[in-house]
Amino acid sequence: MSVTQTTTTPTRRWADADRLLTIVCVGLPLLGLVLFFLYPMLIVFMRSVAVGDGYGLGNYSKVLGSAGFWRATWHSLFMGSATTALSVFLGFIIAHGLYRCAFPGKWLIRSVIVLPLLAPSLVQALGLIFLLGRNGVISRALGIEIDIYGFWGLLIANTLYALPQAVMIIGAALVLLDARTYEAAEVMGASPTRQFRDLTLPAARFGILNAAFVCFTITITDFGNAAVIGGDYSVLATEIYSQVVGQRNFNMGAVVGIMLLLPTVVSYAIERQAMKRQETGQQVGQVRFQPAFTPARDLPMALLSLLICAGIVAVIGIVVYASFVTLWPYNMALSVKHYDITLAGGYSSLWMTIVISLMAAAGGTLAVFLLALGLRRLPRAVAQPIQILAAMPAAVPGMVLGLAYILTFNSTATPLYLLYGTAALIAIVNFYHYHTQAFLTLMTGFRQLPRAFEEAAGCLGAGLARTAVDIVAPFVAPMLISVFFFLFMRSMVTLSAVVFLTTPHLSVAAVTIMRLDDAGLTSQAAAFSTCVMAVVCLALLGMKATLAMMGRRNRMNGAS
Amino acid sequence: MKTWTKFTAVSLAALGVAAMASADEITVYTALEEEEIGAYIEAAQQAMPDTEINVLRLSTGKLGARLLAEAGNPQADVIWGWAVSAMMDPQILEMVEPYEAKGVEVLPAKFRDEDGKWFAPIGYMGAFCVNTARLEEKGLPMPASWKDLEDPAFKDEILMPDPNSSGTGYLHVNAVLQSMGEEAGWAQLAAVDPNMAQYTSSGSKPCKSARVGEYTVGISLAFTAMQSIEEGYPLAMVFPEGGVGYELEASALMASSDDKEGAKAFLDWTMSEEAIQLYQQYKALITVPGVDASAAAEAAGLPADISTVLADIDFVEAAENQTAVKEAWKEKFGR
Repeated sequence: MSVTQTTTTPTRRWADADRLLTIVCVGLPLLGLVLFFLYPMLIVFMRSVAVGDGYGLGNYSKVLGSAGFWRATWHSLFMGSATTALSVFLGFIIAHGLYRCAFPGKWLIRSVIVLPLLAPSLVQALGLIFLLGRNGVISRALGIEIDIYGFWGLLIANTLYALPQAVMIIGAALVLLDARTYEAAEVMGASPTRQFRDLTLPAARFGILNAAFVCFTITITDFGNAAVIGGDYSVLATEIYSQVVGQRNFNMGAVVGIMLLLPTVVSYAIERQAMKRQETGQQVGQVRFQPAFTPARDLPMALLSLLICAGIVAVIGIVVYASFVTLWPYNMALSVKHYDITLAGGYSSLWMTIVISLMAAAGGTLAVFLLALGLRRLPRAVAQPIQILAAMPAAVPGMVLGLAYILTFNSTATPLYLLYGTAALIAIVNFYHYHTQAFLTLMTGFRQLPRAFEEAAGCLGAGLARTAVDIVAPFVAPMLISVFFFLFMRSMVTLSAVVFLTTPHLSVAAVTIMRLDDAGLTSQAAAFSTCVMAVVCLALLGMKATLAMMGRRNRMNGAS
Repeated sequence: MKTWTKFTAVSLAALGVAAMASADEITVYTALEEEEIGAYIEAAQQAMPDTEINVLRLSTGKLGARLLAEAGNPQADVIWGWAVSAMMDPQILEMVEPYEAKGVEVLPAKFRDEDGKWFAPIGYMGAFCVNTARLEEKGLPMPASWKDLEDPAFKDEILMPDPNSSGTGYLHVNAVLQSMGEEAGWAQLAAVDPNMAQYTSSGSKPCKSARVGEYTVGISLAFTAMQSIEEGYPLAMVFPEGGVGYELEASALMASSDDKEGAKAFLDWTMSEEAIQLYQQYKALITVPGVDASAAAEAAGLPADISTVLADIDFVEAAENQTAVKEAWKEKFGR
């Protein structure tokens, strides 16, 4: 008796510690999701059913009864599907080019593709109009008037915004494909087309579906593009803006906000259903795929990727150029006068924004890593609802999230009130605004992680903590890094949720840009945006250099 | 050692007193323009050095959303220079407290609330922004009235803000309806509707699009027009015959303010001699009798007596009809 006891106790203690750690891993991020997403949304929901002094479904029947709502819904769904199809298609081309093909200049594509993420929304809007507008460069060069306002303009703008996120998620699926499977296929004489159809596509399916889900969701919730270039193509997000900001009718805005969750939940359910058929995890002993140069495949891929990148550079480049022009498009003499910004707080908000963004990126990456790690060890029935919850924030328009935060955190009813008006709350709202993309990227990466690795580590006596640090983290490191940079870049420039949370003492760069633009100083707003982009680029380069240095030191330590 | 303790205690006490003395802090929410805010606050801060004035600037619509969202625990002490049609929303009026600012009695009754909840010494007005370069290029006649915009030659050349999402949009629609009468007004709006390229969600956007030559006419704000002209855009500011819409910029005391003395002192300042002199540098529309508008406004094409270009607006009626008019508009012209 006593003998068995002494032998089992350490193992059981390990198991208990592991279980505890799993609970902490899932529990902490879950607590965050509940406090900073579910609870605020619950409060929005309460507003949507508030009628007079009581509760009822009056607001819903009013919204459902209006023709404008159905038109906007149809537009939103159609636009969402079109953008999703286009972004996933182009995103796959670029991700495939980056990770499955061999051609020089990939660093260029890699850096250009993230530009739409680090550009404030004003830049993309201005860029498209300067380029393709009725008085735009292309229109004037061709001597015709392109009517960009409406469906096509909105499709281009939305695709530009969704594309980097599609590349990021699909890339996470492609980067870890096992080279040996391809070698085997090669040996067995499978043609490249066959390999692509039967190996690459199925393996990337999880990534493609996740990317499609994200593209669809962010498109139907986006307000900025629709307001700038959508013309009269009304969508649900503009409907919310008109209710809340135009007519100060919170409850009706809340109704539309809640309705936007429906297509998202449905599309997520469809995606999950489709995923069930795919086996989980990969085989052990992966060898990373090193593509060899194949002209027939790589030249068109490189060309297409470069073409898409050229489009992105043109849109952003023209705004940077315009910020140096005296009076676009009437006086093209170059000048730096727009960079002398004294209004709207000047450049002071820039540094605070970097601090907030670092907080959001570091805290956010850790939170989604813990969550994804813990979810692997939970039974399916428990993990599934948590996954749905974790994928939902993208369905909430930033404006709705920002207002929900005021309603929630500006109430002295809970101690959470202490967060109101702090930089921490802005970092938190930025993270939860982009939670879905971060979480799904990491999940896509995790799916490629062979379960056997963890099992082997477990058999060798490594606890969850050790496995996480020594096995899992290094494996998903590329995803962790891209999630970190993604959160950092978005936090630097995102506006819609933050605009309602800034105080006289605490402002961020995106709000300064909005205030300059509101004040009619579009060129100064463009100049400030250029500075923000420059700062983000420098910060990214700095972080990449640090990472590279750390990597080298690690390798040297390992060698010695 | 003892002296040290004493010294520390005394200095701590001094710090405490100093902190208390400067603890007077008020938070002001405003929708005034960036340029003017700086000048006003600098002067106000000198006039009341013991109170720190914190300003949050948001556009009219966003400010309203923020005030309503914060209604459970309001953060502002003063609402300063905010569209009166927004202020007259019952949800907002509930949050403010009557206060008779010093000097407010000079304002005609039309420009202050009969219960004393708000007063408006200043305002802003709408205008047509006409891009003269594009006008010439397209061979279009310079429009001088809403009627002129009916010309089919203007098809897809005009932008106007949607009254359902922009206060400026409602300002124009209301002016047309009140100056022409219900029936003729709706007929006028219907006559220009086919020429409208877009109804935008922002009030200044039509002018910004017109000034870079995307469209010829932007039905927008005089402020944006004047500023664009000053920057050098080929733009003409036109006030439609029959009167252009305008809006008052009203101020009010928040009932929830925990520093009412400071808040009241600030509101008093906005009616002071000094403030009114500053208004003359920045504002096109000053409701204080006998005070002329800014010289810059005149230079940009504003008549010396602006009452000649303003429509005759009944703000109480405008506020009361707001919801009905917006719904009717959506029914008729919503896209």
